[in-house]
Amino acid sequence: MDQIERLIREKLIRDAQAKTRRHFIKECATGLGGLALGSIFLGCDPLEPKTKEQKITFSERDLNPLATLPPPHTPKVKSVIYLHMAGSPSQLEMFDYKPVLHKLNNQDCPESLLQGKKFAFIKGTPKLLGPQAKFSQEGESGNWVSNYLPHFKKVIDEVAFLKAVHTDQFNHGPAQLFMHTGSPRLGRPSIGAWATYGLGSENQNLPGFVVLTSGGKTPDAGKSVWGSGFLPSVYQGVQCRSEGDPVLYIEDPKGISRDLKKSTIDAINKINKEEYTKYADPEILARINQYEMAYRMQLAVPDIMNIQNEPENIKEMYGVEPGKESFANNCLLARKLVEDGVRFVQLFDWGWDSHGTDHSTAVDLGLRNKCREIDRPITALLLDLKQRGLLDETLVVWGGEFGRTPMQENRGNKEMGFKGRDHHGDAFTMWMAGGGVKKGACYGKTDDIGFLGIEGRVSVHDVHATILHLLGFNHEEFTFEFQGRNFRLTDVEGEIIQEILA
Amino acid sequence: MDILKQFLGRLHPLLVHLPIGFIILGLLLQLYDRRKHSYNKVVAFVFLWAGIVSIFTCVSGYLQYLGEGYSFDTVKWHLWLGIATTIFCFLMYSRISGKPFLAFLKRFPIVLSSTLLFVLISFTGHLGGDITHGKGYLLEPFPNSVKSFFGYETFEEKTIALTEENWETSLFYEDVIQPLINNKCVSCHNPKKAKGELMLHSLEEMLKGGESGEVIVKNKPEESPLYSRLILPKDDEDHMPPQEKTQLTKDEITLIKTWISYGNPFNETIGELALNKELFLSFFPQKENNIYPDTIVVTAPTDSITLIKKFGIHVQQISNASNFLSVSCINKPSFGDNDFEMLSPIKEQIVVLDLGGTQITDAIFEKLTSLPHLTILRLDNTTLSGNGIAFLAQLKHLKSINLTHTNFESSFISPLGKFKTLQKVYLHNTEASKNEEQRLNGKQTILDYGNYELPKIAADSIIY
Repeated sequence: MDQIERLIREKLIRDAQAKTRRHFIKECATGLGGLALGSIFLGCDPLEPKTKEQKITFSERDLNPLATLPPPHTPKVKSVIYLHMAGSPSQLEMFDYKPVLHKLNNQDCPESLLQGKKFAFIKGTPKLLGPQAKFSQEGESGNWVSNYLPHFKKVIDEVAFLKAVHTDQFNHGPAQLFMHTGSPRLGRPSIGAWATYGLGSENQNLPGFVVLTSGGKTPDAGKSVWGSGFLPSVYQGVQCRSEGDPVLYIEDPKGISRDLKKSTIDAINKINKEEYTKYADPEILARINQYEMAYRMQLAVPDIMNIQNEPENIKEMYGVEPGKESFANNCLLARKLVEDGVRFVQLFDWGWDSHGTDHSTAVDLGLRNKCREIDRPITALLLDLKQRGLLDETLVVWGGEFGRTPMQENRGNKEMGFKGRDHHGDAFTMWMAGGGVKKGACYGKTDDIGFLGIEGRVSVHDVHATILHLLGFNHEEFTFEFQGRNFRLTDVEGEIIQEILA
Repeated sequence: MDILKQFLGRLHPLLVHLPIGFIILGLLLQLYDRRKHSYNKVVAFVFLWAGIVSIFTCVSGYLQYLGEGYSFDTVKWHLWLGIATTIFCFLMYSRISGKPFLAFLKRFPIVLSSTLLFVLISFTGHLGGDITHGKGYLLEPFPNSVKSFFGYETFEEKTIALTEENWETSLFYEDVIQPLINNKCVSCHNPKKAKGELMLHSLEEMLKGGESGEVIVKNKPEESPLYSRLILPKDDEDHMPPQEKTQLTKDEITLIKTWISYGNPFNETIGELALNKELFLSFFPQKENNIYPDTIVVTAPTDSITLIKKFGIHVQQISNASNFLSVSCINKPSFGDNDFEMLSPIKEQIVVLDLGGTQITDAIFEKLTSLPHLTILRLDNTTLSGNGIAFLAQLKHLKSINLTHTNFESSFISPLGKFKTLQKVYLHNTEASKNEEQRLNGKQTILDYGNYELPKIAADSIIY
């Protein structure tokens, strides 16, 4: 260690010795020459008064990257709440009713179905596993829902189901990235980042894109699922913690008053602005803005993230557990954030990976507990948005990164102690609700055992195209130039799912 | 070296004008001097130089072909004709300057060779133009009749226009299927192009099929390539139309299926076939599903918007395609009745107004009548009692009022019945909740009292 320090010191001394007066004069000559040349060029414009100070003007977006922009087309919704069940819930126990599968329970899966298919864990010939839940048709729409979600039937007519969504990824990380960025590999911006980049955010005291997680873990794909990819980093999701301070270090340190903090930030931003005029790097603006945003957030965030102040009946409706990390708390927060003009709220709930390896991942046990944890909060969220007149201008999306197999998982080609299902990307259920969505619609159909979509198959890109459409974008024209070409959220695919639009 | 090559290649579009100029000059001189032949020396000199610069042009052209990634098929004819022109220049030179070793050229009439050279240079130049500007660039401004005379593809998009009145009497084939196939398929399957030896411009040809047999199997769409190829995955080699062409919509594919399954009827109307109206809905004139007024307003003055924004009020166009504005006080909770005047320069443009969480009082209702296009109004989280809400009946486009979390009183509900366009009133958490009426104004206006509850059920506490 000492040696390294000595080396550094020696280098500094050598550097100092190397710079002689001659160097100074020489550098002055080129420097001054350059200055002189510059002034000649500047002086060339005969119309420009010589004494005028050089002034760089900033556009609204330069100074505040979250300044709002109008969408190209009239939007149906202002904000999005995306509820992601990380791990992927079993559509066969929640929404996709398959009576035939019930009859085929415990029979060998036909070889023809398995040919050319890749599974994460299933080996050899698995047995079919009938639905573990009881289903009923609910609401005026008569859409199916299982007894795992007893509250949900109250809002079933608000929802439009997509019964045959498919993805080409069968592992959590890539599938989550695909679901949120349109590509199974790292580096693309998430939907929320695209939305905030394209529209900005109305509330100047809150971030435009907020992420809340529950279930004890963050998604397998990491923070990239709410990353900004190649978009300026100011558009990435801001993750708020569910326990303790919502944002770390949001309190002022001891002995630092708010005024002192303000003047500190002002001074830093002044320096940064000078830096920007020199290099014109947009990341500097993002930094300036983040300082200012952080300062304003200090007041606004603790207030909005505090669910204690909500009236009792609302807290009961959602079933919140203040002070804990819970999906219910996050649902209530999502409503508060959207009410306060946040553009995109992303909720991740971990624990849906029902392989049947233990009690908590069994489709007849652990899954039921997970369903109970979301049933009341989601129903409450939709009702609460509705009664506040917010459901007309908010889009709520629910789904996982893929679905689950109609076959029982047989990890290591052995019978397992609990009933579970493997990853399955060929057909799974998602739903949307809110502005511009056809209430009570149900689009797409799977085969008798829920293995493949046979009608109304939609891809992840189609879902993205539809979300962007509702926000007022044409997904084919909403692009960002990067590495010499224009990138889209939907890349070269995606069709708007007209069937679920009002 | 590569840079130099590329640079020289890019000089080609400039260099080409030299031989063109020289050759035309030579030809003009020949024409002018057709009787006396006293300029022969000059003409020979001109053609000699035409030939020399042509060599340079050919070389630079070849470099451009190498450097800019053109396929050989694209440049083939331009390249060979360019070389032919160069050789021809030297032949002309030899002939006119009277070089003895090429005396046999004399047997060839000079008028003919000059004309040939003219044709050659024109055609080479034209092909070059096609490469840089794209095929058909020159004839683009002409009507289709001229274009098809010169052998260019001309396919007019035929619109399929069905209305409530005529859809049943429209012919299924002629008014729907035929235009649909014309728009999406015929550009490749026509008498001139006939990809896969298949032509789809008429029913007779369609029934003949293509190189792999019939495309329509009567009543069996799944076995008819005309349908089955449409539903293959887009990246399948046999998928039609090819991936890069405009695809058929889902509705259009369903129509083709229906048409084949009905035995590809030719003369029947949609009504005679008793087809479901839903199949054709996408061809009906689309109702503009827009909640905002159907009028166009001028752009709001930028200065005023800047001023309003400076004050802390959020102002935003509802979309790039519209001058209507959405105005919100989300960042200005101190907004009060007196600040409303500030909005008067943009009163024509406001369609969405969010005054939620501000200091406004019941006096605001009368002021709001100055916003002629107001469609969505949010007054939530204020102390309004609703006294004066009747003023808003003057607003011709008002569709939604949000009064949640206010002191709105039930007695002010009945005036809402006179609002002609009102669709929704949100009254969650107000004094009015005790009111019984769910709908007003002939059921058109929905009153949402909110206060939803989710009673506890046994399943809430069962842990598995």
